[in-house]
Amino acid sequence: MEPVKLPMTCVLKDGTGVLVREMVRADEPAIFKFFKELPLEDRHHLRNDVTDPVRVHNFMIDDTHDRVMAVVGEIDGRIIASAEIDRNHYGSMTHIGQLRVIVARDFQHLGFGTILGKLLINAGISAGIEKVLAETSTEAKVTMLGLEKMGFKREATFKRHVTDLAGRKHDLAVFTYDVSHIWDKMEALVSDYSPIRDY
Amino acid sequence: MATTEIRIGGLGGQGVILCGTIIGKASSIYDHRHSVMIQSFGPEARGSSCSAQVMLADRPIGYPYVRRPDILVSMSNDACHKFLPEMKPDGILLYEEELVHLSDDERPARAWGIPATRFAEELGRRMVMNIVMVGFFAGVTGLVSREAAEAAVKDSVPKGTEPLNLQAFAKGYDYGRQLVEKAG
Repeated sequence: MEPVKLPMTCVLKDGTGVLVREMVRADEPAIFKFFKELPLEDRHHLRNDVTDPVRVHNFMIDDTHDRVMAVVGEIDGRIIASAEIDRNHYGSMTHIGQLRVIVARDFQHLGFGTILGKLLINAGISAGIEKVLAETSTEAKVTMLGLEKMGFKREATFKRHVTDLAGRKHDLAVFTYDVSHIWDKMEALVSDYSPIRDY
Repeated sequence: MATTEIRIGGLGGQGVILCGTIIGKASSIYDHRHSVMIQSFGPEARGSSCSAQVMLADRPIGYPYVRRPDILVSMSNDACHKFLPEMKPDGILLYEEELVHLSDDERPARAWGIPATRFAEELGRRMVMNIVMVGFFAGVTGLVSREAAEAAVKDSVPKGTEPLNLQAFAKGYDYGRQLVEKAG
């Protein structure tokens, strides 16, 4: 696995080239526009009301989590995706990375979410993350399939946990991707105990 | 370049032997020189003293044991005090400065310290402190090229851990270069 090197250009399934780069503070107006243009049903699953510029500003300067990496997808200056992996600053779950990926409706189902997910998982592993967490409504069948293709396993289902725009309750699927085995091998390697290595 | 004798000492669990393996591999496989490495470790899985002897040379090495190290890489206080008397008077000591405590009288003229454990923790994994030390070794001594050492790191660590290990290497290498440049 190579270190994550940004910026990079990705080619989507339909041949569209997208620039992927780290999100910077100067992106705030473009990020705000991106969020505001999301369909209401997509925005409904976010943590904040992203049509509020103050909320978007707080998202940009997020200091409640340790943001391991945040990236954007950009085509001709337009942001078409926002993705991040973050973890707690302190405590018993600093080894857990939470993955969040949002792609503009007109670029969904082109494999871009998977590209961003893999990139951020690699960044998380580099930062010492042992387990990556992703959540989605069980209605999002394509998202769940994409997570499984990346290596995630469905670890839990919270019944009637999320609502849609009409107020109907849906299940929330919690997916995890345990990458700790990678570090178990490294730990064995630095044990200085046996000259026989089996990796 | 003559043969260089290197002793790497520390505690089991710090990756002392991997550190020696990578330095030897960088020199022999990627810099196309000659090297040998001998390891010794205690019966315990962790915490016992542990050391590696590495020889680097331009010609085949007939005798693989380190007698008077030109370079001592020390990752623990005990290892430093155990092996420092063996080091040549003009030898180079590279040490983990937050684990090794030296009085002014004990400190050799050419001693370079690095907070390798803290750097590794800042990177997210304490266990890569040995790779920070490999980088520091390459940066200070120049005995293995950066490219060779990076290739040896990539080749020696488990799949998936390369990015963090390369970051750890770069951290140690850059820190070592800065110290050397500052010292003139």
